[in-house]
Amino acid sequence: MKIHRYIYNLTYCLLIVILMTSCKHDKEHEYHSVTDKIEAESKNYKGIKTSSETFIDGMNLFEVTENEITFLIPTRKDKIKSYKCTECHTQPLAKMQTNDIKKAHWNIKINHADANTMNCVTCHNSDNMNDLKSITGHSIDLNKSYKLCSQCHQKQYKDWTGGAHGKRIESWANPRASMTCVNCHNPHSPGFDTKWPARFNTQKVKERK
Amino acid sequence: MKTLKVFGSLIKDSLDTITKGSKTYHLWMGFLTLIMLIGMYCYSIQLDQGLSVTGMTDRVSWGLYISNFTFLVGVAAAAVMLVMPTYVLKDIDFKQAVLIGEGLAVAALIMCLAFVVADMGGPSVLWHMLPGIGVFNFPNSMLTWDVIALNGYLFINISIPLYILFRHYQGKESKKSVYLPGALISVFWAVGIHLVTAFLYQGLQARPFWNNALLGPRFLASAFAAGPALIILVLAIIRGFTDFKIEDKTIKKIALVVTVAAQVNIIMLVSELFKEFYAPTHHSESAYYLFFGLDGKTALLPWIWTAISMNVLATVILTFHKLRNNLNVLYFACILLFVAIWIEKGFGLIVPGFIPGPYGKIAEYTPTGIEIGVTLGIWAMGALIFTVLARTAIGIETGKLRYKK
Amino acid sequence: MSDNKKKWFTLNLNSKHKQTSSSCGCGKTSGGCNSHQPKKEELSNDAFFEAAVDASIGDERHKDGFDQVFDVKMDRRSAFKKLTASLLIGAGAAASCTSVTSSSESKEKAQIDWEEQFKGNYKLMDDKEKSATVDRLVRSYQLRTGKNINMSSKNAEEDVLFGYAFNISKCQGYMDCVSACVEENNQDRNSEMQYIRIHEMKDGKGFNFNEADDNYYHEVPAEGHFYMGTQCFHCDNPPCVEVCPVQATWREEDGLVVVDYDWCVGCRYCMAACPYDGRRFNWSKPEVPEEEINKNQHYLGNRMRKKGVMEKCTFCVQRSRAGKNPACVEACPTGARIFGNLLDPNSTIRWVLENKKVFRLKEDLGTEPKFWYFMD
Repeated sequence: MKIHRYIYNLTYCLLIVILMTSCKHDKEHEYHSVTDKIEAESKNYKGIKTSSETFIDGMNLFEVTENEITFLIPTRKDKIKSYKCTECHTQPLAKMQTNDIKKAHWNIKINHADANTMNCVTCHNSDNMNDLKSITGHSIDLNKSYKLCSQCHQKQYKDWTGGAHGKRIESWANPRASMTCVNCHNPHSPGFDTKWPARFNTQKVKERK
Repeated sequence: MKTLKVFGSLIKDSLDTITKGSKTYHLWMGFLTLIMLIGMYCYSIQLDQGLSVTGMTDRVSWGLYISNFTFLVGVAAAAVMLVMPTYVLKDIDFKQAVLIGEGLAVAALIMCLAFVVADMGGPSVLWHMLPGIGVFNFPNSMLTWDVIALNGYLFINISIPLYILFRHYQGKESKKSVYLPGALISVFWAVGIHLVTAFLYQGLQARPFWNNALLGPRFLASAFAAGPALIILVLAIIRGFTDFKIEDKTIKKIALVVTVAAQVNIIMLVSELFKEFYAPTHHSESAYYLFFGLDGKTALLPWIWTAISMNVLATVILTFHKLRNNLNVLYFACILLFVAIWIEKGFGLIVPGFIPGPYGKIAEYTPTGIEIGVTLGIWAMGALIFTVLARTAIGIETGKLRYKK
Repeated sequence: MSDNKKKWFTLNLNSKHKQTSSSCGCGKTSGGCNSHQPKKEELSNDAFFEAAVDASIGDERHKDGFDQVFDVKMDRRSAFKKLTASLLIGAGAAASCTSVTSSSESKEKAQIDWEEQFKGNYKLMDDKEKSATVDRLVRSYQLRTGKNINMSSKNAEEDVLFGYAFNISKCQGYMDCVSACVEENNQDRNSEMQYIRIHEMKDGKGFNFNEADDNYYHEVPAEGHFYMGTQCFHCDNPPCVEVCPVQATWREEDGLVVVDYDWCVGCRYCMAACPYDGRRFNWSKPEVPEEEINKNQHYLGNRMRKKGVMEKCTFCVQRSRAGKNPACVEACPTGARIFGNLLDPNSTIRWVLENKKVFRLKEDLGTEPKFWYFMD
């Protein structure tokens, strides 16, 4: 009988020890969800050492502030081979469209909205080829071509300023450097073409036979 | 000092016993050794080339090894069904059977550990799991619970019979005060190992097929059916080949245990099937795959329906007293039940857990020859260990093996 | 990917003909399709050293994958030896220690192997031990191949928590991310291991993964389909970490869920526990052609793995901790992938979470993934 009691006591002790050790006492579980954690821990965010500077160093970037968000975007003018345009476009467009002069830009096909909505001079300033122009006729600097796009594509523009549309350059860290519209989209044909996937997994096919 | 000397003599005597025997015995041992060697060869190939020689893939990442492991944990746990009545409830009928049952548990546990090791990608770094030298992720990982549970159970199941046999070897009675606490703990422990093994699967929210509350109890029920069924078969064989006395009464009592457990198991199966198929959700797809196939993939269909019909047939046979009391019919039912539960609790449980995958992809699993070779090798090892243990135990119990002063 | 420094970030969008030099359409990555050639100058620089190494370790240097780091050559016979020895802990180290040759380099090699075999868990190492093991691995690689790698053991920075957002209306299914990931992270080319899956889903069927195709090969985007990428979601409450019996996988302070490849015992419990198919296992020895190996490595990231261990996406820890975007983010031609610091209130990822309608997969499981999906 004595032995039985001894055994029962032992079992109880064992059970208590197991129960105590099996509870999770981690610091990890102090937040209900990861969004709570983000909110709480970012309250005293003081910035970090990691920076994008080494990666964007040497790139021609300049700062823009849109929707009260400031970030860097690449310049455009220095990427265009024959800028300034006025080196050829010495005269207003109407005067250059004669049969005497050799045809230029014949290879550009506009595939952007439809012909009723857009033609070359919707965006290009026929009086000053170095600049772009808005719908209302204001001049837009070629480096800030996003201002042209944002006239119609307001939603994309807003997402782009926040960072939901488009890509960051090289680094996730600050200072933020983002690509601008024309780094991904060809303004004359902004849609993406179909293409073949970069990879095909032959092992997966075998596995699922 | 004296104890050590007696122990040495016990080992010598037991070695003497297990190396001598009839022609059938030698054939049996030779056969097991051969299978083990084949298994070892297969394992060496697996070590050399990696687990890619098995049928497992990223999709079905556990296969035959873990299936057998799961099943054998059940077999090991079942030894308790004999321990409890014998030592605790003082039912003397079971006294002879209990040593056999515990021997079976030891063999099954060693097989379990062997299956786990065979399943490891890096067996040479298994020391990482040793507490102290390595890192033991206790209590977070259920696998560490299982390691503790299995090794603890192995220790209990080795030490109790060893003590009893050791006393008997010296011609003394074993002291109750020594083995009773161990026996009592082992009762809880046996339930524990099987529940913990069930929790291993049950605790994975990623696998809805396993993540249900009934898994643990079902594990227990099926284990207490399959384990004692195997013990009945083993006792029958021992009765036939040795002069170890086992009464019909004992076997019939164990049969009653098997019957009740098999009935409970069937009830739980029905409950599970009802839940999966009456109100099928997205989570029922694994069950659909298991019982009816999914997207034309039907590899498990023949297996599971064989298992179910064998299971039902065996349970029906066992339920009728007249049939159950006929020993030959009982043995037949036990074989049916054992095989049925091996399928059901083996790859019938493990493989569908992975199918369909987290994103609905189906890649079927077929074990390769090498995998089957290793598996057979481990089973042969288990049989060999059991034979060795049983022969020694029987030798001592029948009085043939005694310490000579 | 990284060494052919482009003059400017022009993207491969409207051009079917223009393939980046490293991704080839045929799907085979080893062999003929590759345009990378080992540089001649490099070889001549190292010629003397190589000759010396050649003499001492012979053909071992021509092996691929983990062999190049420190695996021991093994045939069937020695596999048998290993079978018995491995039960006694550390067969590999023992074998290399017994085969003593006079060369001091092979002695050093054996020394490194020995120390590597018995080193502790990276998670529990202090910074000194971390850099020691990294130095050993670099030296080992140098001894084996005569080439230098750059391996980092950079720790998580305070006030950083990495997060990821995926725009399902932008993804076009080009799989450039998959390709870049494989090359960046030195994944096994034989088994075609890939961390990222792109699921092609039918419009109007919801997120029906069962009917989605994650191994399509036709021109994309296909009419009436949208694309959804999955990979490791770096859960904040990762079930895979809970279940690991040896703590070989854990969540770092910056939120990355990483694996110590040398500590993993290969039980694959984490794989069963992951609801997102985020983990991959090396069923056989991973092999990467020498000239394709990304030599900019991190201990927890893209260093060479051995057979029988788990691996997974680490948000390219070797890049992200240095401040760069993960390879998939950089490779994506459509800008569907957004990566950043969740704790920085002014980061782009935070803007996405606060301004777009975001959701995560299987949120009901309570795993708290740090990988959000959103639409335009």
